Amino acid sequence: MVLNSKIFFDMNFKFGLILFVSLITLSFGLHKDLNKKIDKEIRTTYNVETYSYNVITISQEVVKELTAKFDNNNLLKIHTKDELLGYAYIGKAPSKTDEFDYLILFDKDLIIMKSKILIYREDYGGEIGSKRWLKQFIGKTLTDELVYGDNIAAISGATISVKSMTLAINKLLQSIKILHNKNII
Amino acid sequence: MNKAILLFAIFISTFGFSQNTSKDTIATNQQQNAVNTILSSKNSKGITIGGYGQVDYNQPEGKNGKLDVHRFIIFLGYKFSDRVQFVTEIEFEHVKELFVEQAFLSYSVSNNFNIRGGLMLVPMGIVNEYHEPTTFNGVERPNVDKSIVPSTWSEIGIGVSGRFNEASLRYQAYIFNGFASVNNGKVLGGLNGLRNGRQKGAESIINTPNFSAKIDYYGISGLRLGLAGYFGRTQAEDDVQDIDGADVGITMVGLDARYVHKRFSARGQFIQAILTDTEAYNILYETDLGSELKGWYAEAAYNLLPLSKEQKLDVFLRYEQYDTHAATQDANIARNLAYNRNEWTLGLSYHVADGAVVKADYQFFDNALENNKTKGQINLGFGVWF
Repeated sequence: MVLNSKIFFDMNFKFGLILFVSLITLSFGLHKDLNKKIDKEIRTTYNVETYSYNVITISQEVVKELTAKFDNNNLLKIHTKDELLGYAYIGKAPSKTDEFDYLILFDKDLIIMKSKILIYREDYGGEIGSKRWLKQFIGKTLTDELVYGDNIAAISGATISVKSMTLAINKLLQSIKILHNKNII
Repeated sequence: MNKAILLFAIFISTFGFSQNTSKDTIATNQQQNAVNTILSSKNSKGITIGGYGQVDYNQPEGKNGKLDVHRFIIFLGYKFSDRVQFVTEIEFEHVKELFVEQAFLSYSVSNNFNIRGGLMLVPMGIVNEYHEPTTFNGVERPNVDKSIVPSTWSEIGIGVSGRFNEASLRYQAYIFNGFASVNNGKVLGGLNGLRNGRQKGAESIINTPNFSAKIDYYGISGLRLGLAGYFGRTQAEDDVQDIDGADVGITMVGLDARYVHKRFSARGQFIQAILTDTEAYNILYETDLGSELKGWYAEAAYNLLPLSKEQKLDVFLRYEQYDTHAATQDANIARNLAYNRNEWTLGLSYHVADGAVVKADYQFFDNALENNKTKGQINLGFGVWF
């Protein structure tokens, strides 16, 4: 796996240290704790205290084939010292007038373990942040196709965002499948 | 009372800004990482333009029909930052009437706490808040949402809103300006209840703030439940405000439910308003405002097309029952049974694309008067939302 050359990962290279991510950022407000949120989701979903991650880089050629957006920064491989835990994808999708950020965690067999809305930026459609609703994505595999209103329940008053999230996850599953077939993950 | 609003405003804005300061201080100390870099990339889109509208054809039995560009609304939003946003809806009604339907500034303190102020929709029932024509069946909005909840009902106010994702709850609480006791010469009355009193933020007068709140619960798959309350008094002019009957007290509660399961959907609501001091009001203004307004409806729909299709063809049936003279004894007026109305609506909503719907329905209007003959009406129209 190729490591990204962000400061964190430079350190990784130079010192060969295993990077324990402990993102302790006290915070208030909207984007508070974005790192903290992601960190918390990773720790609780994989049930670990500490873990490391690497950014998975994908060549431009491959990126072109994918329907989900990859910018060599938003797909992470999560592992501990001796085992692969899974993968994290951070994406954006449109809501009625803006975009929201979401996190999808896969287990090592690429089955969805967790879905979470990280930031929702408008009033309309914010219902998709509901923990109960997001549970529907858990267990979905690369071969699953999500259909709004069928295997993904509608939410009255949030139709646009529900459809958008459904579409986004469909694209993500298709893209991950391609990456998997190409042995990139 | 104005003072109370001002104090409330100062209180919440101070709270908002203090939170903001803490966040900024901490943010600058934060270390950047990969995830942080992408997510902090400025996402606000600045200006948002949208709109919705409906064009209707109403053909009552035995009368001439009506063709109307019922409403066309331009939505304009501007995002100053991820926290501060301005939203406005400019409405043209029947081509020639111009209204500002909403115009408010909102400030996001956190994911589950926002403050907003300005001209906003009063959360009561389903349609007042979700009034875009692609979101409801039938060419015309349900009449419970016209005669009991006077949609579109928006007034100037200030309040808070937010969501709790863990509990699947949305809350809203506002202090609003209320209905005018007398609105440009029009008074409240038996036919339309409170409808004539809507000030819509146009040089509106205030002497008593009103309180409005709603809770929505969407934690059960496919189901959304709402509970709303509205409490206050109508607004009287300075020169009459101390006279008996210059204003009436309002307590309105609303329950609503929406359900979707695969191709089946259903919705319903119940709204009740208790009005006080109506006897004095009716004497002063020589009108027939009841002391209770009450209405409900239930609707079921089934999508005739498979879910895999982008298009949707809903066939629906709705029954409405509403009475603007649900109680008249305390108002000391004769009960007019013609105001105890019910209607059936049977129709089709053909969603030809996301955001565009063609509608057709037939309505039967009836009331509780003895020997009243049921009247029918055909409605055709289209609605868009983008």
